[in-house]
Amino acid sequence: MNLRTVTRALLPVLAATGGVVAAQAEEPVVGADERVPLHTVVPKYPPDARRDRIEGEVEVCFNVDRKGRPIRIAVRRSTHRIFERPSIRAVRASRYKPLKRSEPVPAIKTCRTFSFSLQKDAPSG
Amino acid sequence: MKNASACFALVCWLLFAGEASGDDTPRVVLGPKNPDLFDGAAALIAGDAEEGVRLTHAGLLMATGRREKVMALSNLCAGYLLLEQYETALGYCDQALELNDRHWRSYSNRALIYLRLGRYEESRRDIDRGLSIAPKSRELKTVRSQLLDAVDPVSPRITIDDRRRPPEP
Repeated sequence: MNLRTVTRALLPVLAATGGVVAAQAEEPVVGADERVPLHTVVPKYPPDARRDRIEGEVEVCFNVDRKGRPIRIAVRRSTHRIFERPSIRAVRASRYKPLKRSEPVPAIKTCRTFSFSLQKDAPSG
Repeated sequence: MKNASACFALVCWLLFAGEASGDDTPRVVLGPKNPDLFDGAAALIAGDAEEGVRLTHAGLLMATGRREKVMALSNLCAGYLLLEQYETALGYCDQALELNDRHWRSYSNRALIYLRLGRYEESRRDIDRGLSIAPKSRELKTVRSQLLDAVDPVSPRITIDDRRRPPEP
């Protein structure tokens, strides 16, 4: 199977509130072997990174089991270690739609990239 | 009180002041060398700035040696900072730094005072000096963060991008 981008359901840019985000605001186009996200947890911006104005990216790859839980979670790429733990926790807390017994569990991995950035506040007035 | 915790941390080290000795001669130390200074630091840490300042003044009168005086002056600076008497606090920080220009806690305290007074450039200079002496200081990094937030505010953003990968062979 060729490498293909399946779900590029870019979630809206979110403030680091650590809240749970419904990932189905816009219904993604889902293929036969794709898992439907039920909810996606956004990590909190690490306070020390915020303090020291550190920005970065972490790519976390994982499989999804039959019940919709991310498993075999691993950091594939990271620009700064400070972002790894919150990213892994966010993935672990996220959920996908469970599969029926008759449906095979796809072996395909999902790789989720978290981009942590600090954006200048717009001047008031 | 905003950022009070940062100030409290600045005086924690004084709790151990009584154990410090300038030589290697073994000796028994029963309690702190300067009880008022010790109790003043404890009061400041507990958030009782008025009592902390009162005891630290008493400790300053009994201070022996430059090190103890610097501690007392630095703690008075922190105490008046907690009391939001910035000009008075500034005077004590200046005195502490006249006695020891490598006392990074005084730089940290003074940077915070300058920040409160809106004197950002002086605050930045003290943070840089302090960090050149104690590069890993959490207190100084916290003050630097507060300064940056004052002059160049930012908001944290996190975006998520999902892609699928076929299983590796």
